[in-house]
Amino acid sequence: MINIALPKGRLGEKVYKLLSDIGYKCDEYSKDSRKLIFSDKKGEVSYFWVKPSDVAVYVELGAADIGVAGKDILDEYCPDVYELADLKMGRCSMCVAALEDFKDDLSSPLRVATKFVHTAEKYYNEMGRDIELIKLNGSIELAPVLGISDVIVDIVETGTTLKENNLKVIGRISDISARLIANKSSYKFKNGGVLSICEELRKAVENCD
Amino acid sequence: MKNKISDKREESIISQLSALYMQYGYKRYKPGCFEEYSLYQENKDFLIGKNVITFSDLNGKLMAMRPDVTLSLIRHSDVSDKSTDKYFYNEKVYRQSAGGRNYKEISQTGVEVVGSIDGAVVCELTILICKTLEAVSDNYILDISHMGFTEGLLNEFPSNRNTISEYLKAKNLHDFYLLAAKEKYSQNLINAFEIAVNACGAPENALNQANSAILNSTMRDAIAELNALYELLKEFGFADKVNVNFSATANADYYNGVIFNGYVENVPHCVLSGGRYDKLIDKFSKRGGAIGFALYLGEIERYLAKQNETVDYLVVYSVETQVQALRTAQKLLSDGRSVRISIGIPAGLGYKKLIDLTEKEAT
Repeated sequence: MINIALPKGRLGEKVYKLLSDIGYKCDEYSKDSRKLIFSDKKGEVSYFWVKPSDVAVYVELGAADIGVAGKDILDEYCPDVYELADLKMGRCSMCVAALEDFKDDLSSPLRVATKFVHTAEKYYNEMGRDIELIKLNGSIELAPVLGISDVIVDIVETGTTLKENNLKVIGRISDISARLIANKSSYKFKNGGVLSICEELRKAVENCD
Repeated sequence: MKNKISDKREESIISQLSALYMQYGYKRYKPGCFEEYSLYQENKDFLIGKNVITFSDLNGKLMAMRPDVTLSLIRHSDVSDKSTDKYFYNEKVYRQSAGGRNYKEISQTGVEVVGSIDGAVVCELTILICKTLEAVSDNYILDISHMGFTEGLLNEFPSNRNTISEYLKAKNLHDFYLLAAKEKYSQNLINAFEIAVNACGAPENALNQANSAILNSTMRDAIAELNALYELLKEFGFADKVNVNFSATANADYYNGVIFNGYVENVPHCVLSGGRYDKLIDKFSKRGGAIGFALYLGEIERYLAKQNETVDYLVVYSVETQVQALRTAQKLLSDGRSVRISIGIPAGLGYKKLIDLTEKEAT
């Protein structure tokens, strides 16, 4: 039995569809059900629906053998897992954004508002730029508008929210997409099962491309 | 029949392992609980967690609760390249638990060999690792890698060394291909990296594949050493429990040869790690080499306990049948069975047979 952690929401549903198309269908599954665990009758796979940012925790701690997590979460929390495939879904970018008229003042530390503290720290450390971090949990775009930060580090999908708040992208940190991750112990003890799901998913993604 | 229940408990594993290491002629090492903080500060990359519990001693010197045993052993022992010393220890260490946010007292058992290290020492240590993992679980896998192979490979990517190292650790080929296209890496380099990621599993096959990834003499020497080790493990009957996995790496500032990572079934993380660390000896300006491993028993007990909370017999008694319960239990215990006597059925305990002495009283 392979336990699979999927992120709740649109991305998770898309990944489930892909998995069921390649034979890991679960008859119990219903889009509208509030159940969090589904198992298939043959006992090959079991699905958990968890908060997207928690998928990596479930996989690292072995509750799930494999899971689907955004590259943003993997970069931020650096879980000790294998990253086996790029599912090329949920694509977006980790960006630095600022007000339209922003000019960097190198005489003082840059104030950076973000949910992705580690990612921002790493990016500016590599640049050698001194920063002051402001950890926020949502509506990050507000920070420069209200003057509590000079820039933000956040995920940008279409850029519409930025535009509506008079912000623009001034730096691109990395490309983000959904990744298939595996627990390191499960990779060894359930090697055949993990590798065959991974291989079939890779092929399915290539065909979708 | 030997009582299987306590066999896999922490205390029992420790005593079994101590007997095993002494049988191989290893001396017990017993360090103090405190060390000068500077020892850990200067070698913080050698430690699993970077945080250490510190305090000032009565003279104002900054001290630390020991987060690791190896550093104390190397600092305090006479290492010489003319002789070999073999030690084992069962100690508590104080550090952050894996993935945890608090300090923990963690039970750790380990073996260190210092001085002149040859093929026989490496093979004997690998066998001891297999036997150590076997004491924890019948179903274990030992991942073996070699710093010479991984470092030799990473040296071929000088401008993106750290990124490629992360990709290797995560078995991340998809991001590697993007970087390879951007940096226009040769097909030879791409093939070597693919093999390093995919040559994983039974040594014979994995080492054969690794042969075609060799790009320099460092990698060649590493594969030759792994092949020689594998041949010996085969002869002594341990080859089927060993996997080659080049994604298992260690800090290259300290480690330089064979690397070990042990896994047991039902525990989601690595339970044993170790390897050859001659470079640490250099840092202490001593001559000779070193190789060792540590088993993180404290980190796995919760998983083991879950599997073992089962007794052969549960004897349930009433106030009137207490003595009868004791007698029944004593008889079963002397036959080597595990028995729990209880006035009711205890929650969370599994049992194979129930002896109900309350019913008798009722009739």
